[in-house]
This record gives sequence, structure tokens and C-alpha cells, in this order.
Amino acid sequence: MDLLGILAQLVLDASASWLRMFIALGISVALGFGIGVLAATSRNAERVLLPVVDVLQTIPILAFFPFAIFVFVVILPGYIGINAAVIFLIITSMIWNIIFGVYESVKTLPNEFLEVARLYHFDLWTKLRGIYMPASFPRMVEQSMLSWSIGLFYLVTSEIFSIGNLRYSVTYGIGSGLVGLAAQGIGNYLLGLAVFIVFVIGTRLLFFKPLEDYSTRYTRLHAKPGMRSYEKALMDIIGMGMKTRYAKRIGVVAKDIRVLRKGTTGTAIRTVPVAPKPSQDMGRIAYSAIGLVALAAAAYIIVTNPTLLGYEKLVIPALGASFIRVWGAFAVISAISVPVCVYFIFISKRSQHYLLLFQILASIPATVLLPLIAQSLHGNGELVAFAVFMLSGIWYMIFGMAASTRTIPQSVFEVKRLFGVKGIYAWRKVYLKALLPGFITGAITGIAAEWNASIVAEYFTTSGISASASGSAVISSVGTGIGKLLDTSILPGGLGLGLMIIALLNIVVMILLLNTFVWRKAYRNVAKAYG
Amino acid sequence: MNMISVEDVTFAMEGSDTNIIDGVSFKINKGEFVSIVGPSGCGKSTILRIIAGLIPPSSGRVRVMGRGIEGPSKKLSFVFQDFALLPWLTNIENVKIGLNLSELSEDEKDKKASELLDRFGLSGFETYYPNVLSGGMKQRVGIARAVASDPQILLMDEPFSSLDELTAETLRSDIVYMLENKNISVNSVIMVTHNVEEAVQLSDKIIVLSNKPTKVKKILSIKTGRPRDKRAASFMETMDLVYAELAK
Repeated sequence: MDLLGILAQLVLDASASWLRMFIALGISVALGFGIGVLAATSRNAERVLLPVVDVLQTIPILAFFPFAIFVFVVILPGYIGINAAVIFLIITSMIWNIIFGVYESVKTLPNEFLEVARLYHFDLWTKLRGIYMPASFPRMVEQSMLSWSIGLFYLVTSEIFSIGNLRYSVTYGIGSGLVGLAAQGIGNYLLGLAVFIVFVIGTRLLFFKPLEDYSTRYTRLHAKPGMRSYEKALMDIIGMGMKTRYAKRIGVVAKDIRVLRKGTTGTAIRTVPVAPKPSQDMGRIAYSAIGLVALAAAAYIIVTNPTLLGYEKLVIPALGASFIRVWGAFAVISAISVPVCVYFIFISKRSQHYLLLFQILASIPATVLLPLIAQSLHGNGELVAFAVFMLSGIWYMIFGMAASTRTIPQSVFEVKRLFGVKGIYAWRKVYLKALLPGFITGAITGIAAEWNASIVAEYFTTSGISASASGSAVISSVGTGIGKLLDTSILPGGLGLGLMIIALLNIVVMILLLNTFVWRKAYRNVAKAYG
Repeated sequence: MNMISVEDVTFAMEGSDTNIIDGVSFKINKGEFVSIVGPSGCGKSTILRIIAGLIPPSSGRVRVMGRGIEGPSKKLSFVFQDFALLPWLTNIENVKIGLNLSELSEDEKDKKASELLDRFGLSGFETYYPNVLSGGMKQRVGIARAVASDPQILLMDEPFSSLDELTAETLRSDIVYMLENKNISVNSVIMVTHNVEEAVQLSDKIIVLSNKPTKVKKILSIKTGRPRDKRAASFMETMDLVYAELAK
């Protein structure tokens, strides 16, 4: 094929992929908005939805893809089925953070807005249009950009996955297109990569940038420090700011301040919330009890059933091996991302430029780079897997830390300058501490992304596709791993659905245990200080 | 003696030709309490930050005790409207931030910081985080941090506006006490406020600013000694004067 032909084919491929992405984003935003508002406004919905969404966002959904393809292809004819499966998978990667973004925006809405709504008898539509939409719009835009990056990873990966089975393969798609090009040689592949990156940058600048600019007109009203100036502006509009204060105060203030001083000094401490309310406590105990009973029951069934016990003997070492890879990569990610964040958030004067650059880089999914990675690492399976883990997890850490520092008031940095806080002291007392909450949230999502990547990375290093997906380099297989296990279980001659389900259950239990006993605890400790 | 002289200071946003602050000049003498009042959004806080050396002026200059400034100086300190306590540091560590540039040893810093917290009625709260404190207590930590390095000039950006009235009244008298007590280094105060009564109650001089562009409209001197009786006729007259200037 001539260059022009390849280019035309690539643009067609990318357009098809982008169409899938936009459909998925549209559905994710619509559903995410609905669910987010529901969870934030109804106590009962909140109680059910939040834990469910919380679990769903941390388990590697990619593992369910073969199952999803199966279901959709049975229900829907031909290419509609496979496309529905791909779009479904992208939605499952996009929607969770949008839900949380909407939920938090609505939840932190000043009560006054809702009181206004009640006062003037807003109907549901007016409330949605006039309050919830504008209130959550900035976070929705911000989260959509993140979702887009995550979605691209799933898009490319699922398109490549679909090649494994000729019957279900997508016809047009940048993921499958790139795999095809990689087989033809590195030059064509790089051209494909360039087209992909042009599409990524184009989307960022032509689609998200205008939305982002548009959303700042809401943020100005919505941001916390802005609230005061908003109130002040309102007072000025009414034209009575200072005079009301003056009038109100005459005759109110006591004359003798000395008396007051005795009364107020040291007595104004707020009670620190130490223990949760008994009912909450009971709820938590009940949940834990149910969880433990279920766990014990599952363990009993597995131990008494020789087939299941056999599966478990395969799953646990595999899970252990992947665990070491995931956490090893996490250690390296931390060592890189923390100094990078300190530099670009606190020290550099071009934070916004770096952020844009990182957003674009983050949109290039690790799976697209696989042929490049494989070539430069001489096809060493362990190293390739490690690189894919790192590329998948690092952006969550960087964006998590960047997001958490945005709520720090500007005055904190003025304090730093005012008192000449520099060097190691600044790292210890300002930078690292400021990044800590973001580090924890970034770690939770980043590690979840690494687990997702494990399904892919170990898959590529296992299956026959590796040779074609990586161009000329053949990737050697990783020793063992949960991703490899999942993949081999569904390959012809594998142990099948039973092993797959047991493996998935093991992953879910492990992630829930880690969330409860490591992350939530860490987060609570930080929250105590940060308030 | 001139503690601070602001000389023909202008300020424009980066990339804009329009001066938000247009040729502002005034002087502050030793021992003076000066308030800056003006309509909201007129750049009061920006002027204060220019004096503090946190923002460079577009043109003109600020001299502190006769010398031009380049960035924050130890002679000045700053009290913030939102307190600006570092939420991840305990109260005593927050006060120690104010001692960052001092020559004291770590132990001496600890000692001085806890003395300061004690002086502001916060002993016992050294190892707590700011988020358990009430607004008034947070601002006390903010003031303790500001005076820790023995500055001669205290700059305050609406220091009492996020506090309830009773707490604010107490803290106002704390500031006046510091200004008048010879054993405490602070000997001049500049306060930005939108509360005219507060300005009349505390100031030796009130600088009234105009808006769009920001210029000095009027500088009013108040000779009455402190504490001042808010129900006195002269007090009311002064307030009316300031309001009249603002409304002009």
C-alpha cells in the first residue's frame, strides 16, 4: 500500500474508534450525572450506590471482557454485537470517576442553593438545569478528560483483544489498525502512532479545551474561596454592604473587651469527632460480619471441593506473582511521580503547560506503545509487563496529586514565600505533606489500573498475538501471573469458566481487603490532620 | 521616621495595559496604625501584597525603613484573611514557620513558639492540628506566626472579617496592645478592611481608595487616643466622613 492509502486507512480507523469513544462518553456522562445526582440527593440511594460504585471502580473490569463479548454477540447481530461489547467495556472504564465527580459537586453544594430551590418551588427539571448541572459541570468536564484517557486504553485494548477471535473482530479501529501496521514494520507503525497522537491532541484542543474554558465561568462562582467574594458582590449589588454592618452593630458590641477576653480565650475549641454514631458503628459491624461469613463460606466450599481447591492452587501463586509485579511497579512509580509532582506543581512557573502536556501523554495508552516497548526491551516478557504496569499507573498518581493540591489556598504558598521556606525544609513541611492526600487517592486508582494492565500485559506476553502485536520482536512469556492465568483459562484447551470465576473472585477479595485494611485506614489518618 | 513609603505604585495584570492600581502614594510613620479602605475589588489586598514583597509592582516602588524592597523581608509580617495555616502542620509547627529565617536553634524555636502560643491563650493546643480550632483561635495562631520573627511592621489583610464579632473585638484589642507595648517589636500596622467602624476604631490614619482605577482619594487622620468610644459624637462624625468619601 502506498503512503496515502495507509494514511487514509488510518484516518478511517481512528474515526471509527473515536466514534465509539464519543458514544461511550455520551452514555457515561448521561448515566454518571443521573447516578451521581441520585446518590448525592437521596440518602437511601447513597447507601446502596456508593459502596457498589466504589467496588466496581477498583476491580479490573477488563477481566470480564471475554464474557461481555460472548453476551453481546449472542444478543445482537454481527458487527453491532462486537461494537456494543467494545462500547460497553469503554463505558465501564469511563463512568465511575464521573459519578464521583458529580456526587461530590452536588454534595458540597452550599445549602443556600437548595433552599432557594425550595423557596421558589423549582420542579425537578428546573433544579437539574438550574442547580445540579451548572454545579457539577466543571467536575464533569474535568472527569470526562480523565475518562477519555482511561477509555482510550480500553478502546485500543479491546479492539486488539477482539482480533484474537476472527469471528468477533472489529472491522475498523485504530487499535486493530496499529497491530496490523506493526506486523508490516516499525515505519508504518510509527506513522500509525503519529495519527493516533494527532487525534488525541486534536480532541484535547478542539473538544475538551472549549468545554474547559466554558466551565470556568461556573467555577468562579462555585470555588470555595470565591464564595466570599460572591457574597460580597451580592451585597454590593444590593448596595448596602457596609451600612448594614454598621447599623446592625451599634449598641451590640460590649464596651469592655477585657471581660470578653477572659470568656473567649481557649474555650472555643470544637469537639473533635472521635467515635462515629452508634448506628453507623452497628452498620459497619453488620457489614463486616456478613463479609466474614461469606468469606468463610467461600473458603469452606473451596477447601471441600477438590476441583475448586485445584483451581485455588493455581490462582494463589499466580496472584502472588502479579502482586509482586504490581507493587514493585508502584514503588518505582512513587519514586518518579513524587519528585515530578513537587517540581511541576510547586516549583515550576509553568504548571498549567506541564499539566496539559501530561494530559496528552496520559491519553496515549500503554497498549498502543506495546510494539515500541517490546522492541526496545528486546522482548523480555517481565520487563515489558513491568513497563506496561508503570505506564498504566503513573498518570493516576500524577493527576491524583495535582488534583488534591488545587484546593490548597493560594495564601499557603504566600506564607511559604513570606517566611523564606526553602530547600529540604520546604520539601518536608510543605511539598510532601501537601501531596499526601493525593498520593493516597492516586495510589488507590493507580494500583487498580495496574491490575487492569496485568490482564493485558501478561496476555500479550502469553498469547500468539504477541508476535504480530509487537512487530518483529517476539515477547517472551512471563513466569506466572493472574492475567496470564485468566487468559489461558479462556484460550482453547484452557481450564475454562470455572477457573476464570475463581480467579476473578480471588482478585475482588484481595482488592476489597487491601482497600479496607490499607487504604481506607491510611486515608482516615490523613483526613484527621487535614480536616 | 518613615517606616514605609509607597511611591507612585502602579499595577497591571500580566498581559494587560490597563492599570488596576494607578499611581498610589502614601507614607506610614513609626507607631502608626493605618487602615486602607475602599470599594470591593479595588485592589486593597494587592497593594498590601506589593508592600509585603509578594507581588512586584508594575512601576513605582515601595521603601521599607528607607530601603527599596525585593521580595519578602524580615522587617514585615503578614496576617491573612483566611488565616493561611498549613493544615498538615500542628499549631506549634505553624508558628515555627514564622521562625524559619531566624538564627535560633531548633530547641530555642520550640521554646519561643510555645511561649507565643501561650501568650495568645493557646497553651495546650501545641500538638493539635489547626482544623480542631475555632476561627478566632486559628487567627491567633496566624498572628503568633506573624509576630514570631519580631517584625516591626505588621500587614493585615482583612484579618477579622471571617471571625464572629466578639472574637474579632478581642483580637483587635490584642493588636492594639502589641502596637502600644514597647516590649513587642511591632511598631506599625497596616490593615486592609472593608469595615469602616473597625477602621475608625483602631486607626491613626485612614487611607480611602477609589475604584477603577485605584487611586488614593483621601487620607484622614484621627487624633483621638485609643480605646475609642463608639457612641461618641466625634466617632460618628468620623465614620460619616469616611462613608461620604467612599460614596463620592
